[in-house]
Amino acid sequence: MKSLSRRKTTGNIIYLLFMVILLAAVVYPFLWLFLSSLKFETDIVQYPPKLWPSQFTSSQYVTVWDRLPLFTMFKNTLLFSSAVTVSNCLLCAMGGYAFARMNFRGKKTIFVIILFTMMIPFQIIMIPLYILEHFTGILDTYWGLILPRLTWPFAIYLLRSFFVSLPKNLEEAARIDGANEYRIFWQIMLPLCKSALLSVGIMTFTNNWNDLVYPLLLTNSVRMRTLSAGLAMFIGQRIIEYGPTLAASMISLIPLLIAFVFLQKYFVQGIAFSGLKG
Amino acid sequence: MIKSLNAYFQKNEVAAWVLLLPSMFCLAIFLFIPLIMSFGLAFFDINIFLKDAKFVLFDNFIELMNDERFWNALGNTVYFTLMVVPVGVIFSLIVALLVSGNTLFNKLVRVVYYLPVICSMTAIGIMWAVLLDPAIGMFAYWLRVLGFKNVQLLKDPDLAMPLVAVMTIWKSFGQNMIIFVAGIQSIPNDFYDASMIDGASRWKQFFYITLPSLVPVLGFCTITSTIGSFMVFDQTYVMTRGGPMFRTETLVQYVYTRGFIVSPFRLGYASAAAFMLFIVIAAITMLMYQFFMKKEAKGL
Repeated sequence: MKSLSRRKTTGNIIYLLFMVILLAAVVYPFLWLFLSSLKFETDIVQYPPKLWPSQFTSSQYVTVWDRLPLFTMFKNTLLFSSAVTVSNCLLCAMGGYAFARMNFRGKKTIFVIILFTMMIPFQIIMIPLYILEHFTGILDTYWGLILPRLTWPFAIYLLRSFFVSLPKNLEEAARIDGANEYRIFWQIMLPLCKSALLSVGIMTFTNNWNDLVYPLLLTNSVRMRTLSAGLAMFIGQRIIEYGPTLAASMISLIPLLIAFVFLQKYFVQGIAFSGLKG
Repeated sequence: MIKSLNAYFQKNEVAAWVLLLPSMFCLAIFLFIPLIMSFGLAFFDINIFLKDAKFVLFDNFIELMNDERFWNALGNTVYFTLMVVPVGVIFSLIVALLVSGNTLFNKLVRVVYYLPVICSMTAIGIMWAVLLDPAIGMFAYWLRVLGFKNVQLLKDPDLAMPLVAVMTIWKSFGQNMIIFVAGIQSIPNDFYDASMIDGASRWKQFFYITLPSLVPVLGFCTITSTIGSFMVFDQTYVMTRGGPMFRTETLVQYVYTRGFIVSPFRLGYASAAAFMLFIVIAAITMLMYQFFMKKEAKGL
């Protein structure tokens, strides 16, 4: 009995040690980034490097504000991600609902095709998409960024799974009361999936906010750049100034980090759900 | 009665199409047409100015077969995937097993581990590029303190890709961890209770209950991670730009470079490379899918 409890304590110690090391490994880089963005350039490049700044300054943020069209980039990213998120929630809920609770010819075939398209990464179709946008003249415009992302097969799939799980008698009562299909969807079903919609919305928003290849390819003027693409271009110029670069990275991270603090349940929920249904 | 029933079904079908149409329309235009085009484009000699397109049949593919940089990029991508997927998935599973209990501490820890997942790869890549910088980075300094000489880190051709892989696992293990935790929590407690009565050890419980129940989740994580790894671009673009000596140039990066960065911007040729990438991914996904289906049927 004694040896068992001793084994349990050793196990606990190893567990705690592992957790502490992993926590430190995850948190430390963020802490370093935050503190470094508040350092003077001389502090950043000093050797040996130190975590704590010898003097705090906000000058890096001021510099990067002058150097990069941060406000425009911020506005572009916000506009693009928000528009795409709203349209994804609406269109994919409509599509998912039709697949889940309605009957129509070719339903199975079309759904299999949706599953197939889920597996196709953007990188495979990026060149044709570029050409398509070139010929329609929407390259390097908000339309060019938003239109291809209006729907997301994965969101259709996820919301379908959600609608399937709702009980059947919900809509029957409404149907007896004489409500038509659209009203059932809009007034009964949609309000029930608020939390699923929030999860899908957060996933869409984060993915698009963070995306790099997509805006890199479909925008080429400075005034259309998103944060990710603009940042990547900025460091690509190879005149490395660490301070402003780190400050800009920090700025691009802050909105999502704040959202995460308040909505972490929904951030995680969609991901967890996708794995179980997949 | 029959008539009204009929009318109802018709109405239902029409309503379904009304709800479905907007999303199907978008998918058709922005996914299907490009997908079909991408097959076609590979057979043309066409540049970014989209003039004087010439049908060249298999010329692009023949040229690819003799293109050292293409093979190099494919090799790098496979190397990256072989590091990130097995290590990343197993590591996520181990962490998930440790934090799956719903204590306050575990809940908090899970949130922290998920933090890097929501961040943009661009910002995270910049952060790690500076941390791993051989001149001013923390890691180079620590390694020198530990007695290593000639610390090159990201500038070392042999080390660059493994470091990018480690950083990728650091950024994304939280995602698979969350999926595994959800999977573990959905295993009914009765299974464990019954095995306790039979006197099964914790290892036995893991191999006979937990792991077999997790096969579908394991399959999902492995397949999505593999597809993601084959698409690797952001990390190497931000951290190394494909260097040193093209040792971190990935396939997507090569496609992007060939089509949009290096004159004469050969979109046809780049499409052929992208098409090859598609074939590789499709084949690997199919194989993995069948493997996990079989495992699931047999119960591991």
